[in-house]
Amino acid sequence: MEVSGGAPKSKVKVGIPRALHFYRYFPFWKKLLEELGAEIVLSTPTSKKIVEEGVQMGFGELCIPMKVFYGHVLHLIENHPDLDYLFVPRYVAEDKDAYFCPKFLSLPDVIRILPNVPKMLNFEVNVKEFPISQSVIELGKQLGVGQSRALESYKTAKEYFKEYQDFLRKGVPVNHALRLVQRDLPFTVPKKKSKGDIKFLLLGHGYNVCDTYINLDFQKKLRDQGIEVITIENLPESLFKVPVIVNKRLRNYWRHEEEIMQAIRYYLTKGRDEIDGVIFLISFACGPDSLISELIMRDMKVVGIPFLDIIMDEHSGEAGLLTRIESFTEMIRRKKRKLEMDAKKKVKSKIKSEV
Amino acid sequence: MIVSFPNMGPNWVAFKTFFETMGAEVIVPEPTNRNTIKFGVKHSPEFVCFPFKATIGDFKNALERGADTLVMAIDCGPCRFGFYASVQERILRDLGYKDFRLIPLDQADLLEFKWVKVLFDVSPSKSVSMYSKALKAVIMLLKKAKLLEDIQTAEGLFRAYERTQGDTTHVVNDLLQQLDQTNSLSGLRKFRPIIKNTFANMDIDRTRNPLRVGISGEIHISLEPYVNIDLRKKLGEMGVEIHQSISLYDWVMHKLHVNFHRKWYEHLAKPYVPIDIGGECRWVLGEYIDKANAGFDGFVHEYPFTCMPEVVARTIITNKLKKMYDMPIIYFSFDEQSGVEGMRTRLEAFVDLMHSRRNQDVKTNKVKLVNNQKQYGHYGNNFCHECIELIQPK
Repeated sequence: MEVSGGAPKSKVKVGIPRALHFYRYFPFWKKLLEELGAEIVLSTPTSKKIVEEGVQMGFGELCIPMKVFYGHVLHLIENHPDLDYLFVPRYVAEDKDAYFCPKFLSLPDVIRILPNVPKMLNFEVNVKEFPISQSVIELGKQLGVGQSRALESYKTAKEYFKEYQDFLRKGVPVNHALRLVQRDLPFTVPKKKSKGDIKFLLLGHGYNVCDTYINLDFQKKLRDQGIEVITIENLPESLFKVPVIVNKRLRNYWRHEEEIMQAIRYYLTKGRDEIDGVIFLISFACGPDSLISELIMRDMKVVGIPFLDIIMDEHSGEAGLLTRIESFTEMIRRKKRKLEMDAKKKVKSKIKSEV
Repeated sequence: MIVSFPNMGPNWVAFKTFFETMGAEVIVPEPTNRNTIKFGVKHSPEFVCFPFKATIGDFKNALERGADTLVMAIDCGPCRFGFYASVQERILRDLGYKDFRLIPLDQADLLEFKWVKVLFDVSPSKSVSMYSKALKAVIMLLKKAKLLEDIQTAEGLFRAYERTQGDTTHVVNDLLQQLDQTNSLSGLRKFRPIIKNTFANMDIDRTRNPLRVGISGEIHISLEPYVNIDLRKKLGEMGVEIHQSISLYDWVMHKLHVNFHRKWYEHLAKPYVPIDIGGECRWVLGEYIDKANAGFDGFVHEYPFTCMPEVVARTIITNKLKKMYDMPIIYFSFDEQSGVEGMRTRLEAFVDLMHSRRNQDVKTNKVKLVNNQKQYGHYGNNFCHECIELIQPK
């Protein structure tokens, strides 16, 4: 873009905490904000210091991702005093009849009251009340961008986000894709290392599954055991079209949980033989997951897929976690071997009887 | 058809009439007790909020006593409450209770009138007469709920003045029994003077000038005395005047969009939480501000452990409002582990703190009696003000 006359204006600096919705919407935000002429400053990946600071700021009953979010915000305030804005969007509803967790609904409100917080960009996604494009125009106004350009950048960002999602559906780990987005690299599928002998579906929210510090690099631990891991983001779009019916009278009203249930529905019915086990990562005190995991566990018992729910908080120990994964995979491997042996025996006896 | 419903403090009186007027047989839930909670804790998800565990226990008790229709309120807001009915039904069926029907009562917006279907569902005779019955049922529910709220208001005020400890509790229990037996509209119309007279005849010490405390929080926890370890009674016996505006009537009126004091709270809370995020978050914030402006001595916020909206409210109060309004606040988050003694110690410390602040204020002449009358600001409902007349020194 050409700047007409005079010295080029320095770009507006916008800080984005690397937590919560970052793992879901970052490509969209990045494209949108950059198109609107802002420069993005990210907080560093979660570290011990960030978690400690966050835990001090948020009190005991908050879930760990929220505490981590506090930590990232404090980190941004401390290390980037030149920030013009902080980007903490309010996600209320992305769908006509689905909400997010109440903590997302009030996220900007609890951040705004922290000490020394820079000005915050107001961006509200509430499809129930108004379309997203309207909030984009509002966002553009705050950054000094006109309506038509704001809408144009929204269109570009949407296309880019679609591309990103399609890329994920090829089976690429989210963290890898996010790294590509951050460095503005083109989406190329990485070479696949050797395939594992068993395949797990890793359920959970993006911020639990992808934040390698809180979950103690869970995905890598699984891959080290020779397990192929797929997450919800890797599943084809067609699974997420029809809403799940928990009960005739209840419409599931949480967006994230709806996706988890939709993914699991496929594996409970048609895709029964495609996976060997399911692991659900839950953060302690997560409201929606406490009920959803109960429903999933009960469904799993009926169908007979091995299911492990792991509850994490800031005190998670690495050794304990490793033991649980090892015993779980060992159990599944043994079961698989036994099934294979049984199948072989059957074949042998069949041959014998035929002879 | 035998209908039952979960416990929510004394509100069984209102619910009982609601279903009985429709002609259904009603099993009143057993008062919540240790076994109820034990069952709930054993069979519920580990860290679901506490009302879930208490109400599933109530359902089990009701089913064992022969109920075949359970009524549970549902919501489709952002908090966990909307899932209760479905998950509880699933758990109960898995446990082997096959022979029951769980009717969800949609209370997301009462002006959508989805709840009328529930009334028709529980009505044994499906004829034209059930329309008039339904109308009567609603009127009876509203009237009784209003009277229950009045009893609650008077209870909170009078317990701080009673000369013999326990008088108020007896009076309240008697009134609840009386109200339960009053099943005609004319009887209910005359009931409000009865409440007022009963309390007026109590032996009270009008010269006291007790501390004033507002209580707010999640509705089930605030109303069910077993779950909140009878917090209101404990505080009252320590000589504290209690103002609690949360009640069934308050909630129903809010859902019918005619509750104006809640709208006022919403207005007060708007700078901090602009949208409804479920639970009572907005109203707790609003009430905190309102009570602080009215010169209260303290505030109690009670909620179930890990309740999402209330946790947000707590965060905002601790980080912002407490510094602005400088009113002492104590938080109680309840789950099955809550102990009586620990809570008593905390309450005593809280009351001591409020006393010392009050003494300081008296010294600096911030608090004084005008014409020998205690000063109450413009808060509370009409009945509250009628009660205040009764406790003024003569």
